[in-house]
Amino acid sequence: MVSLALRKRGSRKGQERRSASQWAVAWRRFKKHKSGLLGLGMVVALILVAIFHSFIAPYPARPDPNAFLPLYEGEAGQPPSWKHPFGTTIIGNDVFSEVVHGTIYTLYVAIGTTLIAMLITVVVGISSGYLGGKIDDLLMRITEVFLVFPSLLLILVFARIYQLINPEPFWNVLGISIPVNLTMIVVIVAVFAWAGNARVIRGEVLALKEKEFIQAAKSLGANSRWIMLRHIFPNILPQVIVIATLTMASAVLVEAVVSFLGFGDPSTITWGRMMEESFQNMSTTWWAEVFPGLAVFFTVLAFNLMGDGISDALNPRLRE
Amino acid sequence: MGLAKYVIRRLLYMIPLILGISIVVFLVMYAAGDPIQIATAGNPSITEAQRQFLREYYGLNDPIPVQYLRWLDHFLHFDFGKSLYGGKPVNEIISIYFWETLKLQLVSILLAFAISIPIGVYSAVKQRSWFDYIFSGISIAGVSFPVFFLGIIFILVFSYQLGWLPSAGAHGAPQLWPVFGIQNPILDELAHLAMPATVLTLAGLAYNTRLLRAGMLEVLRQDYIMAARASGIPERKILLKYALKNAIMPLITLLGMSIGFAIAGAPATETVFSWPGLGRAYVTAASRLDFPLIMGITMIITIMILVANLITDISYAAIDPRISID
Repeated sequence: MVSLALRKRGSRKGQERRSASQWAVAWRRFKKHKSGLLGLGMVVALILVAIFHSFIAPYPARPDPNAFLPLYEGEAGQPPSWKHPFGTTIIGNDVFSEVVHGTIYTLYVAIGTTLIAMLITVVVGISSGYLGGKIDDLLMRITEVFLVFPSLLLILVFARIYQLINPEPFWNVLGISIPVNLTMIVVIVAVFAWAGNARVIRGEVLALKEKEFIQAAKSLGANSRWIMLRHIFPNILPQVIVIATLTMASAVLVEAVVSFLGFGDPSTITWGRMMEESFQNMSTTWWAEVFPGLAVFFTVLAFNLMGDGISDALNPRLRE
Repeated sequence: MGLAKYVIRRLLYMIPLILGISIVVFLVMYAAGDPIQIATAGNPSITEAQRQFLREYYGLNDPIPVQYLRWLDHFLHFDFGKSLYGGKPVNEIISIYFWETLKLQLVSILLAFAISIPIGVYSAVKQRSWFDYIFSGISIAGVSFPVFFLGIIFILVFSYQLGWLPSAGAHGAPQLWPVFGIQNPILDELAHLAMPATVLTLAGLAYNTRLLRAGMLEVLRQDYIMAARASGIPERKILLKYALKNAIMPLITLLGMSIGFAIAGAPATETVFSWPGLGRAYVTAASRLDFPLIMGITMIITIMILVANLITDISYAAIDPRISID
């Protein structure tokens, strides 16, 4: 009898925990997702490298003259070795150090772009889906314009115009220097990265709007803003998180292309910029081209794997 | 059933869209500053009078609304003006590069579409088999691999290391024609096409297989598939006729979109392979801010995307009887 009662209480406890939070369920499912965990581990590694870059990299970042130390030691254009794990460039920079220093810019691009793009996505998606009518019409027409824009090409034009305006290279915010031109690229990429996702969110909201709990909230006298913030938004949050992870991956890719084509921030050494610098000499110093490229690949793969894992963990249809 | 009416309505609907986009691009470009100043910045011996003459020649002294209306008038006569560099008509420049881009993109889009079908279907049917794991792994890696970087790897391996294929351009000079010892212009074209086309195919393949696999998994879980199985219809027919037909819809949307966007070329890939296409032309135009050329290419691409979207929507109705054109 006693053991039965105990087991009963135990099982009720278990049920309580499960119903307590869908996030706990999702995390438990995510923990079982091997490739998702691998992606999360890779992202954590990238964040650690970005934070401790000045301790990990053996040489400082340009424009510090010590960045050219391998040149003065007569080691420019050397293939990978113990001293220079990724080799050195033809102008005498240690490729490994530059890749390490570049991590923080890549993460800045990924997170910055995603924050701005998701803000637009969510605001447009929810207000268009929930409010409907004229607002929906107007927002969807604007969305269509952004969907048919050949966005990468226009990003290049905007980036070039901004390069020519030639602002001060860095902003100093609370002791952290933020590259201005790179920030502009973040904004430009974000402005072109929301349209498709806003449509997806709008579809979700349209389906959600018909649910009973929204009707209930409405009949209890809740206004539209309250419903959108407290009832709609939490329910589309899983979808938003998945989209955000995938947006991070594509933002890193787009920034790499923009920098590689020579439209990047001239005062910041991003991975794409490194690839642009070594492209002409890649038949001799292939390592200076390949390792930054692999870094881009590693980062994008990390976000994509993590996104896949989160998507599977949050998908109610895959729940056993 | 009103197909003509539908097409006409959609075409009319495109007019405000095209006008809106052209106004936005026009305003942004002219907000950037004086194009003649930018174009001649590298020329120390130019005089102010010559600059003034150039401005007059390109009609840049008029107020912007007048410039826009003149641009629109020329645009309606299919004339995009002259490039600020060299003064060649934009139409001529576009028609040179257009075909090279189209050749490259059509080959890769169609190959990627065709190859992805068996891989996607088989991965979904044999979910969690070694085949599925290997190809799912390859395709997520493929989606994450920067396309231009794949091109760089190909050049490093097949041009610089092995010396099999040319690393740049779409054609060789006659004395460079010999491919594996055979002197032939067609073989030469194919040798130049091989690497960029393979790179773009692989990139497209990675997206397509992921999309198709996910779609097939979704469809195969539906009740009507189980019903079809229960009634003893051969598995092959179920897969190809019932499941694939539904799962392929998102792929067709993607195909329609990518054919539209294909005209934009793949700017980075074309640059890596020095492919004489529209994408690379655009990169050059953007870096010099050659406004007439930028406007011309942007408008051509926008129109192609809109037309491709329209064709995609019409083809939906042809493939899926549940969707009707109203």
